[in-house]
Amino acid sequence: MNSFTFNLRAIVPYLGELKMAVVTTVAMSLSTIVLSLAIGLFFAVLRQSRVAPLRWLATAYVEFFRNTPLLVMLYFAYFMMPVIGLRMSPFQSGLVGMTLHFGAYMTEILRAGLIAVPNGQYEAGNSQGMTSLQILRHVVLPQVFRTIYAPLGNQLINIVLGSSLTSAIAVNEIASWMQTAGSDSFRYFETFLIAAIAYAVLCQAINLTRIFIGRALFPDNR
Amino acid sequence: MHNAYSLLEYMPAVFRALGLTIWLSWLALILGAVGGLLLALMRTSNFRVLRLMALLYVELFRSIPILIILFFFFYGAPLILGWNLTAFAAATAALSAHASALMSEVIRAGIESVGRGQWEAAQSNGMTYTQAMRHVIGPQAMQVILPPSVNIYIMVLKESSIASIIGYVELTATGLVIREAHGGGFAILAIVALLYFIVCYAISLAGGVLERRMKVAGSGLQMDEL
Amino acid sequence: MMNATPVLKIDNLRKQFGSRVIIDDISMNVVPGEIVCLVGPSGTGKSTLLRCVNGLESIQGGQILFEDKPVRAHAKDIIGVRKRIGMIFQQFNLYPHLTARQNVMLAQVVVHGVDRKTAAERADHLLARVRLSHRADAYPARLSGGEQQRVAIARALATNPHMLMFDEPTSALDPETVGEVLAVMREIAQEGRTMLVVTHEMRFAADVGTRMVFMDAGKIVEEGPPRELLAHPKTERAQRFLQTIHH
Repeated sequence: MNSFTFNLRAIVPYLGELKMAVVTTVAMSLSTIVLSLAIGLFFAVLRQSRVAPLRWLATAYVEFFRNTPLLVMLYFAYFMMPVIGLRMSPFQSGLVGMTLHFGAYMTEILRAGLIAVPNGQYEAGNSQGMTSLQILRHVVLPQVFRTIYAPLGNQLINIVLGSSLTSAIAVNEIASWMQTAGSDSFRYFETFLIAAIAYAVLCQAINLTRIFIGRALFPDNR
Repeated sequence: MHNAYSLLEYMPAVFRALGLTIWLSWLALILGAVGGLLLALMRTSNFRVLRLMALLYVELFRSIPILIILFFFFYGAPLILGWNLTAFAAATAALSAHASALMSEVIRAGIESVGRGQWEAAQSNGMTYTQAMRHVIGPQAMQVILPPSVNIYIMVLKESSIASIIGYVELTATGLVIREAHGGGFAILAIVALLYFIVCYAISLAGGVLERRMKVAGSGLQMDEL
Repeated sequence: MMNATPVLKIDNLRKQFGSRVIIDDISMNVVPGEIVCLVGPSGTGKSTLLRCVNGLESIQGGQILFEDKPVRAHAKDIIGVRKRIGMIFQQFNLYPHLTARQNVMLAQVVVHGVDRKTAAERADHLLARVRLSHRADAYPARLSGGEQQRVAIARALATNPHMLMFDEPTSALDPETVGEVLAVMREIAQEGRTMLVVTHEMRFAADVGTRMVFMDAGKIVEEGPPRELLAHPKTERAQRFLQTIHH
C-alpha cells in the first residue's frame, strides 16, 4: 500500500497561478460563446435561405464541426495559423478552434429557435403593417431568445468544459495548471481536487445564474 | 511546399490508428453501457442512498471536464492507489466513466418510458422483478435506448482523441507524429479530421436508419412478447 | 348607403397554389358599413380570399382595390394597405412574449408611431370595451381561447382600421367561449364598422350581417341578405350546404 497523505497545504504556493488559470478559462469561455453565437446566427440564417447552395454550405459547416473532435480542431488552428502567415498566441488559436467547433452547435440551437416561431406570428405582424425588420425585432427575436435561453446556458457550460482541451496547445488554463502544479509537487490528488472544484464551481455558477436571471427575464415562464 | 503525395506512405499507419480509435471507443462504450445500466438501476431503486450516489456521479460528469479525470487516472492513480495504468487503460477508464454517466440517463429514460401497465401486466402474470425486466420491460426499453446510444458512441469516438494527450497513439496522436516526421504543415491533420468526420457521419446516418427500422419493428416486438 | 364608393373592390380574382385553383374568377365589392359574411364548405377559398385582400397571399389573376389603391402582395405599398385593415385570425396569433396590453400597444407604437403613453391609454380603453381590463397584464398563455380572441379584436381595433376582416374567429374556440366573442363582434358591427367575416355561425350572420355570400369551389355561388339566403336558398349547392348546418 502506497503511503499517501492528503496534504492540501503543499499546493498553496501554486494557488497564485491557479487564479490566472481561472481567469484564462473564463476569458476563453466568454469570448467563445460570443463569437460562436455570431457565427451561429450567420449560419442559421444561411440555413433558411432560399438559395440551395447557401443552405448546403451551412449544413456542411454544421455537420463537419459536429463530427470532428474539438481537440483535432484546436491542433489544426494551432498549426495552421503560422503556415498561413498569421502570428497568433496559443490563446488566440484556441479561440479560433473553439469558436469554429461550438459555432456549429450554436447554429443548430438558433435554427431550432427560429423554427419554433409559428408562421402565424409573421402573419400577425404582417397583417398589422410591420416591415420585416420590425417583425424580426419586436416579434420574432424576443420569442427566439426565450427558446434558446436555456440551451445557451448549457452551451456555455459545455464551452467551459471544452476549454480544458486548450491545455494541449499551451494555453495556461485550469487543466494545464493541474498538470504543471501536479507534476511539480507530485500532489496529483490535491491538484485534481482543486481543479475539479474550480470547474464545478464555474459550471454551477453558470447554471444558477442562468436560472435566476431566467426567472427575472421571463416571469411568466410560458 | 510540402509534397502531399508523399503522405500516402503514411496511410497504412493512419488507418491502423483509426482502428485503434474505433476499438478504444467501442470498449469504452460497452463498459459504459454496463456501468450505465448499473447506475440506472441505482437511480430507479427504492433506496435513497443508492439514488443519491448515482445522481451525484452523473452530476459530476456534467461539471468536470473529462480531461482532468483522465489526468487523474494516468498521473494521480499511481501515486494514490498504487495502480500503474497504461495510457490505454487510463483512457479506457476515463472514457467509460463518462460514457456510463451518459448511458445511465438514456437507460433510465428507456426504462421509465415503458408504461406502468406493462409492469402491472408482468407482475399479475407472476413474474419477478428480474423476469419482468428481462422479458417485458427490457425489450421495450431497448427501442428507446438504441438511437441515443448511437449518439453517445459518436461522442465517445470524438472524445477518444484526448488519449493522444497522455501518449496513447490513436488517430490524433498518429496525425501529430506524422506531422512532426513530415516536417510540419497541416495536411495530415486535415486527413485525420476528414477520417473522424467520415466515420462519425457514417455512424450517425446508420443510426438514423436503425431508428427508423426500430419504429417499424417495434409493434412486431410487442406482439411477439404477448 | 349602397351607392357609396366601395371600400373594397375585387375584380375577377384568381388565386392558385401550384396547379390547384383555389379562387376562380371572383368579383365582389364591399361598401362602408357593410357586414359581409362569407360562408360555405371548408376549403373553398374563403380564408384565402381574406388573405389575398391584405396581401398575405399573392394573386395570379384579376385585381383587388382597397380604397382605390391596388393590393399587391410583395410590393412596398402593401404596408399602407395593411395599416388600414385589421385582421383577426382563427388561431388568434397573439404575441406570446407580450402581455395583453402590450399586444394591443405594439402596432400602434411600432407601425403608427404613436407614443407609448397614448398607446397604453388606448389599449386600456379597448381592453375595457372587450371586457378584459382585469387581464391587461396577463400573458396569452394564461388566457382562455375566448379571452385571447377578444384581445386579438382589441389589437386589431387599436390602429383604427377602415375595415376589419375575421377569418373564422370562433372556429378554434370551446363552445362556451364562442358567445363572448360573438357578442363583442356584434357590438363592433353596431358601431358602423365595415366587416368581412368568414364564419360558420349562421345565427350571427343572420342577426348581424348585412349581406351573406355563399362560396363553393372557389366561386361565389349565391349572395343576398342573410335571412333571405338562409330561409330560401336559390341554388342547389347552397341548399345542400345549409341543410348540413343547424341554425
